Amino acid sequence: MRNKQKSRIRRFTLTQRMFHLILMLSFLIQSATGLSRMYMGTSWGNFLARLFGGREQTLDIHIATGAVMIFGFSVHIIYLIFTFRWRDFPKSLFASDSLIPRPKDVKDFFGHIGWFFGLKKMPDFDRWGYWEKFDYWAVFWGMVIIGGTGLLLAFPLFFTQFVPGWSLNVAFWVHRIEAALAMVHVFVIHFFIAHLRRRHFPMDLSMFEGSVDIDAAGHEKRVWIQGLRQSGLYGNALVPEATPVKRLVYRVFGYGALAIGTVLLIGSLAHINGLGW
Amino acid sequence: MRKIFIFPPGFVFSGMIVCAALMFLPGDSFSREEVASSMRRHKSQEMSTGYYEGYEVLPRRLRPVANISGVVQRTIFPQHSSSTSHGTRSRLSDSHQGVRFYKNRKCQDCHVDEARGSHTVRAGISCRQCHGHDPIASINHYYSPMNPIRRHAYVCAKCHPGANASFAAYVSHPPRPGTETAKREFPALFYAFWIMMGIAVSTLLIFLPHTVLWGIRELFVRKEKDK
Repeated sequence: MRNKQKSRIRRFTLTQRMFHLILMLSFLIQSATGLSRMYMGTSWGNFLARLFGGREQTLDIHIATGAVMIFGFSVHIIYLIFTFRWRDFPKSLFASDSLIPRPKDVKDFFGHIGWFFGLKKMPDFDRWGYWEKFDYWAVFWGMVIIGGTGLLLAFPLFFTQFVPGWSLNVAFWVHRIEAALAMVHVFVIHFFIAHLRRRHFPMDLSMFEGSVDIDAAGHEKRVWIQGLRQSGLYGNALVPEATPVKRLVYRVFGYGALAIGTVLLIGSLAHINGLGW
Repeated sequence: MRKIFIFPPGFVFSGMIVCAALMFLPGDSFSREEVASSMRRHKSQEMSTGYYEGYEVLPRRLRPVANISGVVQRTIFPQHSSSTSHGTRSRLSDSHQGVRFYKNRKCQDCHVDEARGSHTVRAGISCRQCHGHDPIASINHYYSPMNPIRRHAYVCAKCHPGANASFAAYVSHPPRPGTETAKREFPALFYAFWIMMGIAVSTLLIFLPHTVLWGIRELFVRKEKDK
């Protein structure tokens, strides 16, 4: 039976979840099409290219999806400008729910590592743990680097008016290495944290559902929950669990993405000897 | 009344602003010269007829995916061929002058790395589509179409209409980016490569063990009782 009690705390707004959804879909398409180009000439690259109808189409899809990503990124920047609490400007940068790194994150990082070895108590995290902030800024920085070099490579005739042609050689390698890093990070580290950690096994639905379990949050994100209680916002943040149908959709969708990412990772690692330089 | 799913207003509003901004971007014709036809443009100056024999292009059935037969990678980091005899042969009217058994060899027998370059593997074009027929003039021979003073118009623009000299500064056969050869011939590529590799490797060196240790540590946490 559905739990009608308000047993969960709201963590992501609908807009934020949609950003994640769009990013996730476009990232998977970019990974598959990009890997098919990266592994071009190998059986793995050929297999991926055939899924999209050949290597020419793969590149077209890659560029079109890249345009969608850059569009989404611009929308995200505008969204940040409009939703930022400008009223208490310098303070809101370092507020409890801000994604800007602060000294506590460095302390938490080392405290957490101490906890891995049983040397320290587990740190009490605020709304965003240091690994979550890193994930956010990694995407941000990846968007700028991969998106920028991608634009250069997609419109060489236009951009070589301003930069010499050999910078396309450089852009190609920067694009490639940064993309490889992004894929390993998402398909190994991000997937591990969201799926394989015992606390979240087999899947953490919070990014799809938008809310987290009170008990789970109370244990890991203690500072956040305490802050909510003290500021009196705790009651407003409580939401009921999503309907079973919705949760099923989230699960099917999440497992689909997980499967695609894992296949891409394993296929690429298995064929790494055929990787062209 | 049942609430129908709608996009949140902040999302729509931000999207509209970006769409409006996009309208002020110049069209893609901004970067191109006006030409009647990309095919006809340099016809009068071309050495090639534009028609290629079967041995000059990849077989049609291989078109959807790239596959270069007969090219083997000899070692992990083979030396780039341009570093060995670059100086002596770069100004001849026939760059293969005096090469033994030239008639019986294929380009990729000697130019191993070049045959694996992006234009060959990715665009699927053959050596002769750019370098032309025998005798193939050296890159820097004064009348060579490959000479940097006219390369953009005679070679690049065949497929990239509107290519300018800056565009033609693209290195079609770059050295392998991590090698000493690259450091000597193309330092920007060498340093960009190693800086990016440094960022990637150090990120993974920190976060891979971190994540594994975290996963192991959580196995030893006593699960909290509900409430």
